[in-house]
Amino acid sequence: MGDFEPKIAAFLCNWCAYAGADLAGVSRLQYPSNLRTVRVMCSGRVDPGFIIKAFKQGCDGVLVSG
Amino acid sequence: MAGIGADRLQLAWVSSAEAQRFVEIATDTIAAVKEQGPLDTVALEMALEAADMTVNNPAIRWLVGKEVKITANGDVYGRKWDVDQYETALFKELEREFQKSMIFLAIKKGCKSVRDISREIGLDLLRISYLLADLEKTNQVEFTGMEDSKPVFVAL
Repeated sequence: MGDFEPKIAAFLCNWCAYAGADLAGVSRLQYPSNLRTVRVMCSGRVDPGFIIKAFKQGCDGVLVSG
Repeated sequence: MAGIGADRLQLAWVSSAEAQRFVEIATDTIAAVKEQGPLDTVALEMALEAADMTVNNPAIRWLVGKEVKITANGDVYGRKWDVDQYETALFKELEREFQKSMIFLAIKKGCKSVRDISREIGLDLLRISYLLADLEKTNQVEFTGMEDSKPVFVAL
């Protein structure tokens, strides 16, 4: 499993985690690039259906963060 | 329930000022998923489809939407449920919908008799017959007759 790079869908709240991720970028903190970010206006916008859809379309993991 | 593995889905709260925390969560999530290995979407195709049907089921959505009302103000009969009770009921309902969706998909795939379905999805015969009656009532499957003295169903 050495070089397996997972694909992870990240649903980030515009006001919290997305801003946090943005700040991480601005302050030059490094983190792995496996996340595929989807910006939502609120994590309450994330429908359980979205998560299933992400898995169906081949994501190995899903992160919901608000 | 669908066999995806709980570690693959993570929920975390990060404030806009906590860049360091976000980096930690991102790193931890990636490590956790890495440990699980790639998701086998081919093997899980049916389970994922069934999970999709379950979360989009109107009755399940109503039930989820009523959580606060049922646990804080009581149901229409004035009974108040505690959160554990509510969650147990919700889980049972989810399980039931998921199993029904699996049966529906198995029939759609070409399974005909209860035994075929059982072999395909690994659920016991009694439970399948029981849920089939439910699926018939909601017009999702139809009983079409007997074949070698076994009842045969088709998905609508």
